[in-house]
Amino acid sequence: MRWIRRLFQKSRAEKELDKELRFHLDRQIADYVAAGLSPEEARRRAQMEFGGVERVKEEVRDTHWETHLDNLFRDFRYALRNLRKDRRFAFIAIFALALGIGASTVVFSVVYDVFFRAFPYKEFNRSVVLELRNLTSTGGWKSRWFFFPEEVKAFREQNHVFEDMIAHAGARVLYDDGKSTRYWSAEVVTTNTFDYLGVAPLLGRTIAQADGRPGAPPVFVMNYRFWQAEFGGDPKVLGTTFVLNGEPTTLVGIMPPRFDAFGESIWLPAGPDLSGHSLRGGAQIVARLKPGISVATAGADLDAIAQGLQKANPDGAYPEKFAIVPENFLDYFLRGFKKALYALLAAVLMLLLIACSNVANLLLARATMREREIALRAALGATRGRLIRQLLAESFVLAVMASGAGCVLAFFGLKMVVALIPAGTLPKETVIQMNEPVLLLALGVTILTTLLCGLAPALHAVGGDLRTRLSGSSKGVGGSFRHGKLRGGLVIGEVALSVVLLIGAGLLMRSFLVLTRVDLGFNPRNVLYFTLDLPPTYNTDVPGSRERKNALTRQLLERMRALPGVTSVSESMQQPPLDYSWSDTIIPGKTHSDRWETGIESVSEGYFQLLGVSLIRGRLISQDDVNAARDVTVVNEAFSRRYFPNEDPIGHKVKLEVLDRAFLDAPHDTYFEIVGIVRDRKTRDFESSMWQNFPQAFIPYSVQGFSWRSFMARTSVNPNSVLKNIPQVVSALDPGVQISASGTLEASLQALYRGPQFELVMVSAFAVIGLLLVVIGIFSVMAYTVSLRTHEIGIRMALGAQQVSVLRLMLLSGFRLVAAGILIGLAASFALTRLLASQISGVSTTDPWTFAAVVTIVVAVGLAACLLPARRAARVDPLIALRYE
Amino acid sequence: MSEAQSELLRGTLDLLILKVVALGPSHGYAIAQRLRQISKDFFQVHQGSLYPALHRLEDRGWLLAEWKESETGREAKFYSLTKKGRKEMDAEVVNWERLCDAVGLVLRAPQKES
Repeated sequence: MRWIRRLFQKSRAEKELDKELRFHLDRQIADYVAAGLSPEEARRRAQMEFGGVERVKEEVRDTHWETHLDNLFRDFRYALRNLRKDRRFAFIAIFALALGIGASTVVFSVVYDVFFRAFPYKEFNRSVVLELRNLTSTGGWKSRWFFFPEEVKAFREQNHVFEDMIAHAGARVLYDDGKSTRYWSAEVVTTNTFDYLGVAPLLGRTIAQADGRPGAPPVFVMNYRFWQAEFGGDPKVLGTTFVLNGEPTTLVGIMPPRFDAFGESIWLPAGPDLSGHSLRGGAQIVARLKPGISVATAGADLDAIAQGLQKANPDGAYPEKFAIVPENFLDYFLRGFKKALYALLAAVLMLLLIACSNVANLLLARATMREREIALRAALGATRGRLIRQLLAESFVLAVMASGAGCVLAFFGLKMVVALIPAGTLPKETVIQMNEPVLLLALGVTILTTLLCGLAPALHAVGGDLRTRLSGSSKGVGGSFRHGKLRGGLVIGEVALSVVLLIGAGLLMRSFLVLTRVDLGFNPRNVLYFTLDLPPTYNTDVPGSRERKNALTRQLLERMRALPGVTSVSESMQQPPLDYSWSDTIIPGKTHSDRWETGIESVSEGYFQLLGVSLIRGRLISQDDVNAARDVTVVNEAFSRRYFPNEDPIGHKVKLEVLDRAFLDAPHDTYFEIVGIVRDRKTRDFESSMWQNFPQAFIPYSVQGFSWRSFMARTSVNPNSVLKNIPQVVSALDPGVQISASGTLEASLQALYRGPQFELVMVSAFAVIGLLLVVIGIFSVMAYTVSLRTHEIGIRMALGAQQVSVLRLMLLSGFRLVAAGILIGLAASFALTRLLASQISGVSTTDPWTFAAVVTIVVAVGLAACLLPARRAARVDPLIALRYE
Repeated sequence: MSEAQSELLRGTLDLLILKVVALGPSHGYAIAQRLRQISKDFFQVHQGSLYPALHRLEDRGWLLAEWKESETGREAKFYSLTKKGRKEMDAEVVNWERLCDAVGLVLRAPQKES
């Protein structure tokens, strides 16, 4: 164990090595003297032959591995000392890297958890949701996501593309606890559903195939959330029997907390042939593709089956031309948010690149400044490997410290971002947290970059001829400029990336302003809304339900009007700006080949006044129209423009085809007389955040009995204070009626903005951080260039150059880089912003104002970053500069 | 020493050192001298190669080092062959001779006249 001894008795080992080598040298001298040389000559020759004693020692030391350990400690100690000495450099480098690591870890975590772990289900990435799309260009519904039992059966038995398929549908079941009854929300599922999803129950068992057989005892499984809320998490309820829809049903299992498939309170098995707790009214289908089967192949396979069904039953639920479109399960939930995530991913990668090139730049500048030190060390006997190790140690220390800071940033950043993600954009079951693979990836990327950046200057610094650098480095600028190009290139790249980021953020911001500052066409201030949840006595198939519904509506409007603080009230199907009831439009004497879609709203007489939608011509829907349930309609300008481009629509009749549906309690085959035209108001649907000017028709609510009833009230006081009194008013009218949703219009608008807002905030944050890093990058490179050229500047000034011309020279040299970066960034933006097109509305992806604003900002910021060092250059005293080292 | 020689040495220096030390314990200087004499000035080992090699062999336990009085009366570090070192050396010598024979066979193979 010689090495242990050597490690602890280093001085002795060193002394012995010295003694051994000295003995060698002395013997050589003695031999030369014996051979007849003079003592001086003998010493000179022996020393020349021996070479550097220190170098030989270093090489001997290198054969002992404990020396390496020792050197490693020494290198790290030295690196730390160096970094402490140059605090500004260390701080900037660590700051830049930590921001890069932090931001990318946050975004990677979100993306990873959403794309790969959104659901706790087995292999959900191969699951698809089926949609039947109507391909006929005119008339009828556009698509449906529900399928009838015979379709489910046919798909299940005849498909060649799925491993397995489940069907599910929502239902309300009446729970009778012996004293009172109330509704539970349930999801009726095919009996293979729990096997399909592959999640084990927390307690008891899940629904099994046997539960769907004829005569099987009725059972159900409970959602954890509901179990906690309703039974306080009492495990004793397991195995007990509940009277559901009048039938004693046994609770056989409780699912774990994260599992929330379909979002209802309990799960019930579908009966044999999908009857029993039935899927008769139509069920959603989820199916798992066989490995390697594409969505298109699956669609074609199902099309063939559905076409068979259509032939067998020509009057069935099929339009003339249709296609079955499977959509990826996750995409079905994410909708637009997926693209937002991609945009964030791109933005954060750019930020990471900026951070890394910033650090590379700093390291390069630093290494070049230290060329003389390195040359000196090499001359004093440091081997190449030793020098490289030492430079790498510094990079490594930087990387480790930055990683630590980055992890802390990521930890808090992720918490903030998760809080920022708008509710409803992610599936409920998605849990976003920091996870190891992502953290490791981000750390790996940065440590690798730092080491690479450290290695390049290290290799350069130790390569080449040391002597020229020792003699000439400070005054001649020669060899040092080898890195000038690389550093310049890095600055150009940083500026270009930052321009792309800023333009992306700018476009999002413009689009957000367009979205929020738009003239809605109605006044959302101080308006409350709520929607009723009606008991089964109001179901359309119960005789007299329309009359009951209308009476309830009328009474409720009266009671609301009487509430203190309420100035006006109205009823409608949905609260603006949402609009997802629409119909094909039939106007006698007019033919068309494209779809004529009109949004339908059934309203009470106060609707237009309450919203502040002004009348243009004709008259509004009056109380008489409502009371007499007249077939009249008020249309908006978009309707008039679209369907009556050159005539006055007032007095014409229009049929809204959707009301012809047999199952709707609505005026079938009825032509409404157009009595008035109102101003357009903006509408939007759930799919996209864009505002639409959609043709709309308003009819009196009293002509139909099918719709949900939604109420609004404008208040002179805070609408929330009035909203508190509403449940009392409602239950006083009918204790069975509940309120399913309520709020204020302003708050619901804010909620609609939250999606675009999230993306805007994130991308803007990245853009600002990126710009900050770029400023630091330009500044440090300029400062370095100035310090390198101080001598040259001194000569120029001694030869009569004016301060102004020196200032211009330095500014130009820095600004050239900024300008080149801006040009490249603009070109890249033209190519890249197209990818943002689906995220922005109301503004072109090459919006000249945004581009101009970003160029102005970057030019201003770039000039500012150049100016400080340039001014320092211009203030140089030639006398000092010439002596400057 | 030419580049070719130093290349040759890199692989065989350890073996040569072992062989020289096998003749009797000696210090670094003597080993270098003896290598030169025996090889008729072919091997001129530089200190920068010799001492790292000696220390490496000592670390491996093939050589044993002790401080003894030298022929001039001054203390010097003497290296002697250990049992393990002798075994390694014998094995290496056999290897080396087989390599030489093989190379010789190839080089002496009859050549076609062209």
